[in-house]
Amino acid sequence: MSCSVLDEEQFRLSCQLLLQRSDQLGDGWSWEAVQGSEEGYLRKTALRSVPSDWGPLHDQKGFSSHPQPQTLCDSTGHEKEEQDPAASTGSDFLRAEEEDAGSYTVTNSSSLVLQYEYHILFSCSYGAPVLYFRAFTLEGRSLALEEMWSTIHPNYRLCLQNCPLNAISQQEHPLLGQPFFFFHPCRTEEFMGPVLQAAPDQGRPVNYVLSWLSVVGPVVGLDVPLQYCTALHSTKPD
Amino acid sequence: MASDISGASLSSEDLKLQFAPFSSALEAGFWHQLTQKKLNDYRLDESPKCIKGYYYNGDPVGLPTRLTLEFSAFDVDGPTPARCCPALGMLYNTNTLDAFKAVDKKALLEKEAKEIWEAIQSGAALKNPSVLCRFILLTFADLKKYHFYYWFCFPALCFPEGLKIIQPPVILEEVFSPKQISALQEAYDGLCIKRGITAVPFFLMKYADDAVQMALLEDWEAFFTDTKKITVGVYDPCTLSQHPGWPLRNLLVLLAKQWGSKLDLVEVLCFRDQTLQGNRSIQHSVLFQVKLPELPNNSVCLKSVGWEKNPKGAMGPRMVNLSECMDPKRLAESSVDLNLKLMRWRLVPSLDLDKVVNTKCLLLGAGTLGCNVARTLMGWGVRHITFVDNAKISYSNPVRQPLYEFEDCLGGGKSKATAAVDRLTKIFPGVSAEGYNMSIPMPGHPVNFSQATLSQAQKDVVQLEKLISEHDVVFLLMDTRESRWLPTVIAASKRKLVVNAALGFDTFVVMRHGLKKPHVSQSVYAATDSSTSCSSASSSSSTPAGAALSVPGSSLFSNIPGHKLGCYFCNDVVAPGDSTRDRTLDQQCTVSRPGLAMIAGALAVELMVSILQHSEGGYAVASSSDDRMNEPPTSLGLVPHQIRGFLSRFDNVLPASLAFDKCTACSPVVLDHYEREGFSFLSKVFNSSHSFLEDLTGLTLLHQETQAAEIWDMSDDESI
Ligand SMILES: [Zn+2]
Repeated sequence: MSCSVLDEEQFRLSCQLLLQRSDQLGDGWSWEAVQGSEEGYLRKTALRSVPSDWGPLHDQKGFSSHPQPQTLCDSTGHEKEEQDPAASTGSDFLRAEEEDAGSYTVTNSSSLVLQYEYHILFSCSYGAPVLYFRAFTLEGRSLALEEMWSTIHPNYRLCLQNCPLNAISQQEHPLLGQPFFFFHPCRTEEFMGPVLQAAPDQGRPVNYVLSWLSVVGPVVGLDVPLQYCTALHSTKPD
Repeated sequence: MASDISGASLSSEDLKLQFAPFSSALEAGFWHQLTQKKLNDYRLDESPKCIKGYYYNGDPVGLPTRLTLEFSAFDVDGPTPARCCPALGMLYNTNTLDAFKAVDKKALLEKEAKEIWEAIQSGAALKNPSVLCRFILLTFADLKKYHFYYWFCFPALCFPEGLKIIQPPVILEEVFSPKQISALQEAYDGLCIKRGITAVPFFLMKYADDAVQMALLEDWEAFFTDTKKITVGVYDPCTLSQHPGWPLRNLLVLLAKQWGSKLDLVEVLCFRDQTLQGNRSIQHSVLFQVKLPELPNNSVCLKSVGWEKNPKGAMGPRMVNLSECMDPKRLAESSVDLNLKLMRWRLVPSLDLDKVVNTKCLLLGAGTLGCNVARTLMGWGVRHITFVDNAKISYSNPVRQPLYEFEDCLGGGKSKATAAVDRLTKIFPGVSAEGYNMSIPMPGHPVNFSQATLSQAQKDVVQLEKLISEHDVVFLLMDTRESRWLPTVIAASKRKLVVNAALGFDTFVVMRHGLKKPHVSQSVYAATDSSTSCSSASSSSSTPAGAALSVPGSSLFSNIPGHKLGCYFCNDVVAPGDSTRDRTLDQQCTVSRPGLAMIAGALAVELMVSILQHSEGGYAVASSSDDRMNEPPTSLGLVPHQIRGFLSRFDNVLPASLAFDKCTACSPVVLDHYEREGFSFLSKVFNSSHSFLEDLTGLTLLHQETQAAEIWDMSDDESI
C-alpha cells in the first residue's frame, strides 16, 4: 500500500493544523460540520477578478470555450429574457445622474469579478482530499461549467482538459447535495507520492492537505500563502 | 443643474474630487432568503423593509468597491462580518414587474436624501454617522421564472460646484514614517476596542511625529481646538489610488454643513486595512486635502444622486435569472443531465447525448415491459415519452409494474396509460409524457360487429398512425403477438425505428425491426427488399424462431445491413391470429420470471441507445455474437439485430436474420396493400382469419412443414 493514501483521521488532523494557521494568518478557512453527523468540510470564500481575455465568459448567448460544446442543458428551455424594464424608467432625472461629476466611473470591463466558495472534503474511495468549489457573479448567479472553464488560466486549461478525465467537472456535493465543480481526485496520488516521499529526506513532516492544496488550489484561483509552510509543519495542536 | 456642471472648465475639473460609487454585490443566499420572505412573511405587502449590507476596506487592488448583501441581510440586528462596516438600507419589493417599473425612483431617492440631509442639519448624524451610508434596494421577484429584477441606490448629496482638491491623493507611506503608520494602526485599533466593534466608519485624527490620536465624530468640539486644518478618517472600501469610495461623500457634506465656515482645509485619510498572507498593512491608505465649499445657509436639501448603473453602463435596473439554481424542477433536470454528462466525461467521450435525450419514444404497452422501458428511458434523460394502453391497473400489477401502486388498483383501477404519465411526471417533472387509453386493432379480432365498432377501429388506426408519425422510435411492448402486427406495418411503412421486446417464461427476445430504405420509388425498395434472401437463404433464415434460435449468430448471416433485417413476424410461418385462443395449454402459461421484464425492458432501451449512437442509425449493419471480439461499431459497442436471452442458462445470443419476403407484416406485398388501400385493407385483416394474410403473402404454400412458432408473447399481465 502506498504511503500517499490518506485516511480520514489524518485528514482531520491536517485540517485542524491548517485551520489553526489560517486563523493566525487571517486566511479565512473555517470548519463546517454537517448537522447530525461527524462529517464536515473546510470552507473558504474569496473574491476573484478574472481577466476577460482568458476566454468568453459573459457572452450570454452561448458559452463556447468548452472543448466539446454541448447543448444538453442549454436546450432545456432558457427563456428569452424579458425586455429591459429600464426602458420605461429613462427619465430626465436619470440623465442628471449620469452627468454626476462627482462620481468616478470605472470603465474597466476587461475583467469580471466572481465570488468563489471552496470546500475541502475527504473522499473515502480515493483516500484523498477533494476540492469542491462554485463561483457566482456579483448578481448571485452561479456559473455553468462552460463558464467556469473560461475562468481557468489558459495554461492550466489546456492541460486539464487533455487529462483523460477532464480533471474538473461537475458533481453533486456529497454532503450538501447541491451541484458543485470538483477536481477529480484520480491524479492526486500521482502527484502527492513524490511530495510525501521527498519529505522525510528534508527532515520534516508534511501536512498532506496543505501540500495538496498548494498544488490544486492555484488552478482555480485559490492561493495558498507561503507563510503556511513556515510555521505549520512544526505546529502541534495545543 | 446641467449648466452648472458644464460651467466648470476643463482645467479645474482635473482638480475636482471624484468618488468611486458602490457596486452592488449579491450572494445567492440573499435571493434565496428574499424568496422565503416573500413567500412566508411579505406575501403581498409592499411596504419598505429594513435590511442590512456591509462593505470592506481590505480588498486587494483591482476589485470594485462593493456593498455586499448576503442571506443575513434581513437580520438587521445580526452580526456584521468581522472588520466590515454595516450599511442599512430600505428594501422596496414590488408585487409585479409593472409596479417595479412604475416606482418613482426620483421621489424614492429624494425621500432618502432628505432624511440624510435632516440628520446632517440637526447634527444627529454626528452621533449616528451610519445614516450617512445608506442604500435603497428596489426589487421584483418573479418566482414563477426565478427572475429577480433589482436596482440599487446609494444616496449621496452633492455640492453644487463639486469639491476642489488642494493636495492630490498620495499613498500614506509616502507621507507618514513607519513609526507614524504603526501609531496610526494602534490608534485605530484602540478606537475599535473602545467602541467594542471591529470597524469604525468615520473618525477624527490628530498626528505628530511619533503619535496619532483618534476620536469619534461626536467628540469633535473636544478633540479639535484649532480648526484651521483638521484631519478626518474614513473607512474606505475603494482600492483606487486616486479616488475615495462613496461613504466619504456624505461625510464631507456633514463637515461642510457643521463647520464649513470655520474650516480652511480638510485633510482626508482614506483608511484601507489589508491583511495579505498573514501580513496586515495600512500603508497603502490614501491621504489628500480638499477645500470645503460653504453651503448656503438655508435648509433646502442638496441635489442627490445614487442610482446604480447596470452592467451595460446605463441607468437602469438589473435582472438575474436564477432558475438554474433555485427552481427545483430545473435543479432536477440539470442533475439528471449532469449524471449523463459524467458518463460522457469519464467513460464515453464521443457519446452523443443530445441524440438520445431528444428522441421521441412511443411505448405501445404500459405493462411490465412498458414500465421498465419508461424507467430506463428516463435514466437516459429521454424527455418525450408517450404511452398507449387500454388496460386498467389490477391488484397483481404493482409488484411487477414499477410505475403503479396499490392505490392505483382501487375502484376498478386507473387507466394504465394515464397513471403511467402521472407517475413519470412525479418522478421527474421535466419529462414530457402523454398517455392514450386506446386499443390497437388486431388481425383475427373482427371489428365489424357494428358500424360503431368499425368506425372506432378506424379512429384507432388513424390515431395510431398519427402517433407513430410524431415519434422517432416505436417500442412494441404488448402482451400479445397479434397486437404487434398493426404498429409493425405502420412503422415499416413510415420508416420508423421499431424496438420490440417479448417475453416467454424464462426466455425473451429484444430486437430492432429492419428499417426499410426511404421511399424513393416503389420499384427500388421492392427490388432490394424482396428477392435477395428468399431463394437460397429463406429455407434457413426465414424458418421459424425455434430454428433461428438453434443456430445463433450463424456466420451465413453476418453483415446484414439494417434495411435487410427482418421484423418480429419475419420468422413466423403462421400469420398472427387470436393467440390466446390458439395456444396450447403449455403456451398458456402466462407468467414469466419476475426479473425477465426488467432485463428485457432495459435491453430494449439500451439497444435503442446503441442504434442511435451508430452513424447510420437504424440502417447499421447488424452485429452478431461473433462480433464480440471485433472493434465495436459505436462508442457503446455492438448494434445487434436481436438479443435472445435464456434465463435458465443466464445466457444471451445475438442472432441476425434477413427480412422474409413472405412476412405477414413487413413484406412488400403487405406494405403495398396497406399504402394503397389503407383502412379497407386493414379491416379485411382484422375481420378475417389468419389465412387471409397467409394467402396474400404466399405463406400458405410454405405450410408443408408446420412447425409451431415459439410463442414469445407470454406475460404475467394476462389472466389465466
Ligand atoms: Zn417481417
